[in-house]
Amino acid sequence: MSKRSILLLAAMPLAWACAKSWPEPKQPMADAESAARSAREVGADAQPAAKLKVNLADEQIAEAKASIAKGDNERATYLLVRARADAELALALAHEQNALNDKQKAIEQSNLTLEANTPGATP
Amino acid sequence: MKALSTLGLIMAVASAGCGAATLPPELASARSVYDRASHGPAATLNPTDLHTAKESLDAAEHSFKEEGNSQVTRDLGYAAERQAETAESRARAMQAVAEKEQIIAGMHAATETQAKASAAGLVQANQQLASKDQALQVQGVALQTEVQRRKEAEKRAAQAAADIAKFASIKQETRGMVITLSGSVLFTSGKSDLLPAAQLKLNDVAKALTEQDPESTMVVEGHTDSQGAAAFNQDLSQRRAQTVRDYLVSRGVASDRISAEGFGPTRTIGDNATAEGRANNRRVEIVVKPKT
Repeated sequence: MSKRSILLLAAMPLAWACAKSWPEPKQPMADAESAARSAREVGADAQPAAKLKVNLADEQIAEAKASIAKGDNERATYLLVRARADAELALALAHEQNALNDKQKAIEQSNLTLEANTPGATP
Repeated sequence: MKALSTLGLIMAVASAGCGAATLPPELASARSVYDRASHGPAATLNPTDLHTAKESLDAAEHSFKEEGNSQVTRDLGYAAERQAETAESRARAMQAVAEKEQIIAGMHAATETQAKASAAGLVQANQQLASKDQALQVQGVALQTEVQRRKEAEKRAAQAAADIAKFASIKQETRGMVITLSGSVLFTSGKSDLLPAAQLKLNDVAKALTEQDPESTMVVEGHTDSQGAAAFNQDLSQRRAQTVRDYLVSRGVASDRISAEGFGPTRTIGDNATAEGRANNRRVEIVVKPKT
């Protein structure tokens, strides 16, 4: 989440107070959905902690949609803040798992190579 | 006064309502997770995400200060906690990537070192093999030359022995090969000067001896019969042996391979009572001893 988004959120109550209406959170919705999709693309569903977070993101996106339907754009906006944070965490956890898997493969490959290079090793 | 009391009551109630709000668990968790993240690898590896988490936490803190335990405060706290966790997770991923690259670099370095060592070993082994091969070729040539030389020497020796056999007897005894020359063939009676005909015969003997094993040694032994003074016979046998030895040296036999020794009448092979026996006893023997 960018600094700009945070400042926007902080300014929203003021805007609401002035305008007496909360804008529909189209961009936050797009950002949250995009983050959830990215998390799944890198394998969030295959990693339990990441899967939990991306499911939470989905639920909150659904709740946000329901809030928008009821005209409660403010609630929807904050639900999407939560959803996006969960989706981005799921994405990070999935990336982390992939990096750990790659590291483990490198260790195994390195061990095999060193074993093969050891004089007298059985091929 | 009543109005003032009423106003005071209203203010007290309002004050109580705005009193210290309960810290929402989302904000408490966000503080805790951010604190942990800011003291972990994220501080150095992922300061950008950590900074974003800090800004979210600040927004949540601001909301808490302004609105207390509101839904907005809880939502912002929730997001701040997740962002701090995200910063930690990305830092761990960066760490794993860096470690993986380090492992791969180490593996490549080890493989390269091993390959260089193998190549160097191979070059050395090839050089050693080439060197051995060359040495073997040289040895092979030398061996062939030696075999050929020996064959020729054996052939010449056989021919020389056949020539010697015409005027001398050749026997193989435990002390070596014994070439026996009759004294009458070589010398005038009682003398130690070689007869002219004897020199021709000794030429053949010298030829045969030079064709023999170059490491063998020879002893020329002089023998007499028992007639006459023993001291004379001893001296005569010594002089005759020495004459033959010197002549053979003059014909090419290496002087350090051949010696002379007189035995007088002490080693008889025939009966001194008969003319034939005495003739047999008057002799020169050349004993060829192979290298021991």
